[in-house]
Amino acid sequence: MSSNMKYWHPYISPFDPCPPVRVKRYNTPPNLYMGFQPYGLEQFSPREALHRGTLWPALFSPYESPVEANMKKGMRE
Amino acid sequence: MSHKQLPPEFYQLMEDLQAVDFVLVELTLYLDTHPNDMDAIKQFNEFAKKRKRLKKQIEQIYGPLQQFGNSYVGYPWNWDDTPWPWQI
Repeated sequence: MSSNMKYWHPYISPFDPCPPVRVKRYNTPPNLYMGFQPYGLEQFSPREALHRGTLWPALFSPYESPVEANMKKGMRE
Repeated sequence: MSHKQLPPEFYQLMEDLQAVDFVLVELTLYLDTHPNDMDAIKQFNEFAKKRKRLKKQIEQIYGPLQQFGNSYVGYPWNWDDTPWPWQI
């Protein structure tokens, strides 16, 4: 899931008013890499699928907020 | 008949119905692009049957879920009884 994460480094100007964000990241959906969905993919159980929002784990790609990740790690980016 | 309080198993059944409905939606979209996937079609029909059974059980407790003939109605006319869907 998070393996589809892409990163880029924005230009940081000396006149930036706020502390610079050195690395920007965005998550790309798994269906980009899948093309035509293959037959007989593994499935979630109905209840799990309802909570996850998709029937197929291969297509499951939640939004992981970097802020929460940092808060959990307790470091200030 | 006045609905004092819905029994707990009703909520369990409604969650199951939601899960089965979601699987049916996903399979419908999948089958639109994979018309000859036999396993998915079997699964779809199995879940459709499961949904019918679930709907029957729920409607015995709750009353009609849908209108215009999609659900049976009790006597007296009870589809407008409380609880409404948002009051469950």
